[in-house]
Amino acid sequence: MKTPRISPETLLLLEKFVERPTEWRYGYELSRETGLKSGTLYPILMRLEKYTLLEARWVATEDGVPPRHTYRLTPNGLELVRTKLAEARPRSMVRQPAFCSG
Amino acid sequence: MNKMLDTHLRQAATLLLESAIRIAPPGTREWGQAMRGELNYVEGSWAATLWALGGASVLAKQALASLFIPGGGGQGLVPDGGLFAKSATLRKAALVLGGSCVLAALLFFAAPPFRQAFQVALKPWFHMNEFASGNPQPGFKALAKRAEMRRDAEGLAFCAVRFQDPHESARLAEEAVHLDPNLLWVYAVVAMRNPGLRETAPWVEKLERWDAQNALLHLISAESIEQANVQRGWWSPLTQEQERAWQSAMAAAFQSPKFDDYLDRVAQLNRRVVPRYGFYDPYEVKSRDQIDLPVHAFENSDRFAKLLVHEGADLEARGDRKGGRDKYWTVARFGQLIDSQGRTGFERLVGTTLQAMAYKQLQVSSAKGGQRAEAALFGYLAAKFDPVQGKHPGFPGESAFGLDISRRNAAVVEISGLMILVFAGLVVVATSILVAGSRRGAGPAAERARPVATMVVLTSAGGLLFSSVTLYLTYRPYWYIFQSAILSGDRVQTNDLRYFLNDFPMLPGVSPRGYVTVLNALLYSGSPSFLFYVWTGVTLLAVIGLALILLRHFRGRPHAHAP
Repeated sequence: MKTPRISPETLLLLEKFVERPTEWRYGYELSRETGLKSGTLYPILMRLEKYTLLEARWVATEDGVPPRHTYRLTPNGLELVRTKLAEARPRSMVRQPAFCSG
Repeated sequence: MNKMLDTHLRQAATLLLESAIRIAPPGTREWGQAMRGELNYVEGSWAATLWALGGASVLAKQALASLFIPGGGGQGLVPDGGLFAKSATLRKAALVLGGSCVLAALLFFAAPPFRQAFQVALKPWFHMNEFASGNPQPGFKALAKRAEMRRDAEGLAFCAVRFQDPHESARLAEEAVHLDPNLLWVYAVVAMRNPGLRETAPWVEKLERWDAQNALLHLISAESIEQANVQRGWWSPLTQEQERAWQSAMAAAFQSPKFDDYLDRVAQLNRRVVPRYGFYDPYEVKSRDQIDLPVHAFENSDRFAKLLVHEGADLEARGDRKGGRDKYWTVARFGQLIDSQGRTGFERLVGTTLQAMAYKQLQVSSAKGGQRAEAALFGYLAAKFDPVQGKHPGFPGESAFGLDISRRNAAVVEISGLMILVFAGLVVVATSILVAGSRRGAGPAAERARPVATMVVLTSAGGLLFSSVTLYLTYRPYWYIFQSAILSGDRVQTNDLRYFLNDFPMLPGVSPRGYVTVLNALLYSGSPSFLFYVWTGVTLLAVIGLALILLRHFRGRPHAHAP
């Protein structure tokens, strides 16, 4: 399977998905959790969807309010994310401060 | 208040994002809709604005990428969509923008200063054509025809005083006076410029009955006597009888109590005729050089003044001091008359020259008579009116802007007019390519050319608008000067317009020194260099675009899709 380039921002986003892998998540919610701006977040979401790592659906809202787009990891996505996170973890551990509690 | 601001900010954010969605390529619209859906849930109006800004900027980036880079280069673009499928909306937006620039440039033509500026900018080429066709005054000829059809005496007089052809000028003057006898003064203006006309003598007779005290009429008579001896360009000396007649005419001129060159009447005629026929040609203002009294009118004055001074010196030598000084005073008085009643700088120059000549003689005469105080006074006056050393105001050459500015503005206006034509041509060519590419059954080469053609349309349209704005802003002051000259007959301001127009026949192709002069004017006379860079940059961009289209067309290279 062809996989996208995993940037630090993509990894950060995937980490948030992995925390609650079965839940549908909103873009604004993800933006607040990751601190990514809309202009950075959505291209990543769309690229992950293109590579079928995420699935997306529209959620109807009350009348006159535009529908919302929600996202969730696919099984492929979950598998890939776990692999990538495992690869990334040793490096991130090295970077941790000496007196870090974790 | 804060609530109102919040509402406005949210509305602006929504509008921004929705506009960005409209220009976004189809494959990225879903992103836009998703961001739009979330916008209602973003807490805080400033945060919502930033959310919309971020979304709009990334959509715009994708739109640009899909226009210029085959395949879009963006990660969110539809993978199997061709460039044209993806960029149709953006191309439409680019064309709308380009079309708006062209429309804005065309709207400038609704402004009279711009129309005049464009006409002036292209005049050097028309001048070439006019001289080549042997018809140097097509505008006046057409105007004369219209005036004849309308039987408009003032229109005919307006043309009569400007025509270079003496016989046509005389015919129109006769017709004008026949229709309106109040225009009799037109005879004087035409005869002064064409003293060799056989109509001069009867005209002067009529004029003397109408304006008996005017020195100008005697000057015309004297000049016509001189011109009678000019045959096929050769001048033969006057016979004794002619010389006596000439001296008599000049003596009458020097004794006249009044000098009227009728230029005020010419100005009043302008004021009425120019708006009547919509003849807003700034070269008309410049052509007043031809209406001003010609140099020969004053060569006679100078010759006769010297004759009087010589006679005065002879009389003094023979002991007739009073008789001699009277001759000098005659010259001084005529100089004062021309100086005070002349309308042009040249006339005042002649007046002061004659005064300086007379006061010098009076200074010598007073010194000889031992009147030192009087001699000092005449010495002071002679120095004051000396055309070289003196500081007498009113000499020709006054200008508010200065010659450098006039030269620079002439170059900027000329190049702006030229660039308007160049960019209009590029817009037409690129639009034709676009139309050819959008037809059903258009070949792949034509389709491939469309993105670059869109860029050329946009660039050229921008260049067209920029050149139009530059032309308008640079020429605007001259338009006001022209209006003022037409409405008030003010001659001083027109000097700037004259210098500006005089610098025109310097275009490449019109004058051999054209290339050098235009470059000098643009680069070394304080011209804003950004004009030069913008014109060069925009032209290069558009030309490179067209070259790219041609290259691709001939090489038939397959289109590189994005992976």
